[in-house]
Amino acid sequence: MSLPASVPVIETEDLILRGYREADFEAFARFAASDRARFVGGPQARYDSWRSFMAGIGHWSLRGYGMWMLEHRETGEAAGRVGVIYNDGWHEPELGWHIYDGFEGRGYAYQACRAARRHAAEHLGMNAIMSYIAPDNARSLRLAQRLGCWHERDVEVLGSPCQLWRHPAEEIGA
Amino acid sequence: MTLALHIPRLETPRLILRAPEPADFEPLCAFLTDPVRAWGFGVEKDRPTAWRWFAANIGHWALRGYGYFTIELKETGTPCGISGIWEPEGWPEPEVGWVVYDGYEGKGIAYEAATRAREWAYTDLGLTTLTSNIVPGNDRSVALAERMGATYERTYHNPNMGEDMLYRHPSPSALGLDTDSDGSPEAYA
Repeated sequence: MSLPASVPVIETEDLILRGYREADFEAFARFAASDRARFVGGPQARYDSWRSFMAGIGHWSLRGYGMWMLEHRETGEAAGRVGVIYNDGWHEPELGWHIYDGFEGRGYAYQACRAARRHAAEHLGMNAIMSYIAPDNARSLRLAQRLGCWHERDVEVLGSPCQLWRHPAEEIGA
Repeated sequence: MTLALHIPRLETPRLILRAPEPADFEPLCAFLTDPVRAWGFGVEKDRPTAWRWFAANIGHWALRGYGYFTIELKETGTPCGISGIWEPEGWPEPEVGWVVYDGYEGKGIAYEAATRAREWAYTDLGLTTLTSNIVPGNDRSVALAERMGATYERTYHNPNMGEDMLYRHPSPSALGLDTDSDGSPEAYA
């Protein structure tokens, strides 16, 4: 088997970015079934969530990178996912973020995105990565601005209009 | 953490059942997006969703310890289908599944591959029973399941396929894949 399958662990102040565990699926499915998932292909039925969950693991194997599960240090709960997505049909690898219900408004997405963006620049050769954002996703637009991104152009992803935001380059080795 | 991906390489007289590789995606995508050929398996609407299925199968291997193998034809080295053990969320129990790509039908490839996958599931995974889920009207698959000794058990609602027939395969002992006195299954075939 030639596919790499290990997921690096990254620790931040409040979170542990780690690989998927089967026990994470319930939190994953709750998010995917909720209205909160409307900007990321949801809401999804449980079978489709399971398939997305499996595909998230397979993404690491096929690409050598993917989205991390965010483990909340204090409670051990799954707080969301952040990482690099390069599904078929994407223009280029994307830094994506999903924060689960109850973990919003604490700066966790910002914290995880900074760590993931640095990892991508240092270890994946992806500096000045991009993020897709739905035009009406106000929260994500605010986060992109806080992360120093700028609206580079409008694109279409899987048939839906989307904004492509460009991240600033990380200073590698700094 | 490491996602455990232990995908064996199995052989039959004409075939190799092996781990999916990135290059296997193109022929799989051609199958999955063909509404006629993939009707009984689950049609994907386009290439991006077919790629998700391809990635999900690898995740299935990591989570369950089994999934779909790529079937490679020894003579040409080309992928000619997939077969393996499948149990996503909402499935009644693990099933043995098979798909043969355009141009490779009618040669007994599905039978040869699925029989080997079933033997592996019984002897190496230690499964004690297996099913196959077949959409009503998929007569080719019914014929193959019956050729493998499986019998119709019931009709149920599958979360992906809707109305679905569940076929039950013969047990390990009925296939001569008996269990040793120490309890570990062993193949005598």
